[in-house]
Amino acid sequence: MKGANRHSIDRRTLLKITGAAGATTGLGAIAGCLDDPDGGDDGDGENEITITLSQFPDTIDPLDHITGDYFDVYDHIYEPLFDFEPGEGIFARVVEDWEIQEGEGATELYLRDDVVFHNGDDLTAEDVAWTIERTVDPDMGVVSDIGSYGLGSIEGAEALDETTVEIQYGAAPGLAEFEFGNYARALNMEWAIDNYDAENEAISGADPEDFNGTGPYEVVDFTSGEEIVLQRFDDYWGDEPPFERVTFNADGESSGRVAALETAETDLTINILPEDVATVQDADDVEIREVTSFRNIFCPMKNTVEPFDSQEFRQAMNYAVDNEGIVDSVLSGYGEARGQPVAPGINGFNDEIEPYEQDIGTAESLVEESGYGGAEIELVVPQGRYLNDAQVGETVADQIDQLDNVSCEASIEDFGVVSDANSAGVDPDGFEIPFYLIGWGTITGDTDYGVQGFFTIPDNEARTFDDEELSDAILESQQIEDPDDRREQLEEVNRLAREKAPFLFLHTQESIYGVREDIQWDPREDETVYIWGMEQ
Amino acid sequence: MTMGKFLVRRILQGVFVIWGVITIMFGLRAVSPGDPATLMLGEGATQELIEHVREQEGLNEPIYVQYFDYIQGMVVGDFGYSWRSNRQVEAMVIERVPATIELAIAATIVAVVIAIPLGVISATRRNEASDYGATLFSLLGISTPNFWLGLMLILLLGVWAGLFPTGRRPVGFAEAVVTLVRYGSVYDLLVWLKYITLPAITLGTYFTALITRLTRSGMVDELGKPYVTASRAKGLPSVLIRYKHVLRNTMIPIITVLGLQMGTLMGGAVITETVFNWPGLGLRLIDALDARDWPLMQGIVVFIAIAFVSINIVVDALYTSLDPQVREE
Repeated sequence: MKGANRHSIDRRTLLKITGAAGATTGLGAIAGCLDDPDGGDDGDGENEITITLSQFPDTIDPLDHITGDYFDVYDHIYEPLFDFEPGEGIFARVVEDWEIQEGEGATELYLRDDVVFHNGDDLTAEDVAWTIERTVDPDMGVVSDIGSYGLGSIEGAEALDETTVEIQYGAAPGLAEFEFGNYARALNMEWAIDNYDAENEAISGADPEDFNGTGPYEVVDFTSGEEIVLQRFDDYWGDEPPFERVTFNADGESSGRVAALETAETDLTINILPEDVATVQDADDVEIREVTSFRNIFCPMKNTVEPFDSQEFRQAMNYAVDNEGIVDSVLSGYGEARGQPVAPGINGFNDEIEPYEQDIGTAESLVEESGYGGAEIELVVPQGRYLNDAQVGETVADQIDQLDNVSCEASIEDFGVVSDANSAGVDPDGFEIPFYLIGWGTITGDTDYGVQGFFTIPDNEARTFDDEELSDAILESQQIEDPDDRREQLEEVNRLAREKAPFLFLHTQESIYGVREDIQWDPREDETVYIWGMEQ
Repeated sequence: MTMGKFLVRRILQGVFVIWGVITIMFGLRAVSPGDPATLMLGEGATQELIEHVREQEGLNEPIYVQYFDYIQGMVVGDFGYSWRSNRQVEAMVIERVPATIELAIAATIVAVVIAIPLGVISATRRNEASDYGATLFSLLGISTPNFWLGLMLILLLGVWAGLFPTGRRPVGFAEAVVTLVRYGSVYDLLVWLKYITLPAITLGTYFTALITRLTRSGMVDELGKPYVTASRAKGLPSVLIRYKHVLRNTMIPIITVLGLQMGTLMGGAVITETVFNWPGLGLRLIDALDARDWPLMQGIVVFIAIAFVSINIVVDALYTSLDPQVREE
């Protein structure tokens, strides 16, 4: 497997060169160690894989970021406690069973008793409880965005015995389950505290020994910010993963990742841009694989200022835009038009809701009905944050501008401007940008994560929409214990959202991967790349 | 003016320049859009958490307090912590310096090896085809954007011809030398060489063109001087005159420019490192920009400024020791 070879120089040639040198240096004696002069076993290349990410994790604390690139790498070392299957739910992994404690706001997790850390210590319930506490408590360890919204409803955890953990939460069990099912991990408490003062600090370091999880792979080589090499963990409790050795590196440029794929220096790469797809398709032995992700792109409209305080006007904006056309022309088909806040596969996604279809006549009539005929609006758009975002935003603005009774211009800004606009709340004195383009990945797999930050009113100064009915519908869903009833309520939330049009709904992005043809692997909607989901 | 006074003045000027860079960077951070805490935590962070981080990072302090805290830290070598990785900025900067220095030196070697012979040929065969060829090469070299040249080299020599790798280098120079010393194997060194070739050509091309022009004009000036005529009259071979006397005198300003350009190369490596995914300071700066990691951005820019100023001072000192008149100017 070429891509797995550590170096791309032809080995036979090098052996000749170094063999000649060996005549005088005694190199012949260690010729077998050329691939790894440290004497390590690099394998024969047949059982290795190299994965190139778009960003290399720049902290080694596995609880520090909720970004996909981090999970791609660290989940192989610090495995998730549950298997999460997008659209299906959570399944046993390190936790082999779990039980909701009715009416107590708690769930008991029952851990396997044969799980060990890479340093040989047994995994205990105390490790799990402490890790969850460290994740959700901003005063412990690192201020973690996993804790703040990945595990947003989780209040704490306690070890009841060697293998039982009780997780406490302040919401419906179903919602909490989506959260801990996705984001619960296990650190070795004693190791982390003794070596890294992990009660107070982030885990940091630049050596393989600075990693210690229970996952199927352990770290054997690490160059901070550049590359990490993993090897199968011999004492792993579960099935043997398909590759002996895994290398993760990163290249921020899509063209660079594609070039590495073409020259077989990598076997799998993520975030390929639509314009680079043809290059991969034309290359030998590699192919494009894509999946509709959990990330929606949309334009919030803050309804506390004119003209967005009119539901008719907001609906008109949705009718003005040809989402299907934008997906086809700007995204080369790598997306799906959407008419609700979340993507398919998310718990509560309402499959009866169709996207708004472009209808200029209806849009112009609704504008007149709203009383805002002649309105002049501006759409603020980030550049380089989402798939072809600036072009998408400019097309949206242009299509709105084609209405006879509305003028619209796009303003391309730094993402910081958009980020500020999104968190500025709805008090008219507190924000200047009511209409902007942003993306949101509903990474927990549950609608709540895709709507509550935008629409709920109590204790949420950063909301983008002010509507009691929609807010109440979400709050109600958070307290429904029966999973089916809760899903129905979330479907209703999505229906209400479409009707009230708090967003100009655009599309769900697709994740585009370049992969060596002989690797059997299907991309996941949650954008995570798991080695254990592959076959050679 | 004595050498000591001259150096003290230069150092004070350098300190002033570095302070200016620090202040400008801090000012840019203050006026740039995006709440740092929100940017640090990403989309979806709760208001409570954002406030917690603001408090923790001192972002609620008045801007002048933040500024003086930052200056105070800088004075004792504490550049703060990266917002994104929670690591010390100085460590993150220092670990990337070797790769950038490797690239800068390799680009300089590429430039010197190509440019000096070209410049000499161009000067000694004025108005001939080789002179026009060298001039054309220089014009192309100066006019070609770095990123485009890099991408073309990757496409032509990496992807199509398969002569050079295109991915991230698997081994650094220091590691390759360790392999050589410990095992007597040149394998890693050859790998390193293969990986650095295209970036070095890319970064060195503009520099090559510059040195070619400098060598040519220097040689043309020197060849017109009386000592050359006198040497010819004495019957010295023209090869000896050109390469021993004339070229040696031409090299003084070239060496000065080489020294000064090292600083420029360290800063200018940003684009080349990004195109080739070369793990140096430039790439780290781009990553920091993408992540809006201000402490890291500031640390890298200030480090480059310090390197630039230091190299300038050293070059000035060397130059003035060779030509004391400079001190008086």
